[in-house]
Amino acid sequence: MASPAAVRELQRDLENKANDLSKIQKDIAKNHQVRKKYTIQLGENELVLKELELLKEDANVYKLIGPVLVKQDLAEANANVRKRIEYISAELKRLDAIVQDLEEKQNSKREAVLKVQQRMQALQAGKAKA
Amino acid sequence: MEKMSVEQLKAVKEQTDLEVNLLQDSLNNIRTATTRLDLASAALHDLSLRPQGKKMLVPLTASLYVPGTLDDANKVLVDIGTGYFVEKTMVEGKDYCERKIHLLKSNYDQLLELASKKKTVADEAGAVLQAKLKQLAPQT
Repeated sequence: MASPAAVRELQRDLENKANDLSKIQKDIAKNHQVRKKYTIQLGENELVLKELELLKEDANVYKLIGPVLVKQDLAEANANVRKRIEYISAELKRLDAIVQDLEEKQNSKREAVLKVQQRMQALQAGKAKA
Repeated sequence: MEKMSVEQLKAVKEQTDLEVNLLQDSLNNIRTATTRLDLASAALHDLSLRPQGKKMLVPLTASLYVPGTLDDANKVLVDIGTGYFVEKTMVEGKDYCERKIHLLKSNYDQLLELASKKKTVADEAGAVLQAKLKQLAPQT
């Protein structure tokens, strides 16, 4: 026989699982935003690298540091931009792994929520019949 | 799409409408950027016509100009992104503007194609949705 306590407990379980699910979904959304930012930066840096590669050895390169334009060595600028591209690519890979893991967790939470809902429905149907 | 329920169709249409809006925003951004590059290219061209030593007013702030003379108009500083500036000749500078404008135009065309395809899908979903709703309505 289904007691009201059992139903209440199932409801609490459902709430908890639903909260967990919405937290995971928020994390996934945040991940997407960060990913977008990094992808844009990667694109911009690749453009800069292409321009730098078109330059002759003696061309003057300047970097804007705050309000100051500082003369930079072409080789150094190339190295800096390359390093930045490597860093951003590594970050994107890391984010990819995280988002995959989050999506798996999301799916299993969804299934768990569904199961609890089904049990509740069965309990309530059982109560109605009795 | 005919097989989907009204709910699913509504979801598909909303999703595609959202995507179309995002693509339209991107298209607008590209148009703005292309206009700016066109202006830059025109300014460069104008600058190349001016003689060295010509008197000019140099903006220090949005409302403060200072008299000065044009030095070497053959050298220009180009902003290539992420805080890097490169010194280029007038010819290279014009070439840079042209290259960027071409790049943006091709991106624009690609996006336009994608946006039209999405719009077609959204319109189709809307039409099927209308048809289904009409089917359901006379029964009540």
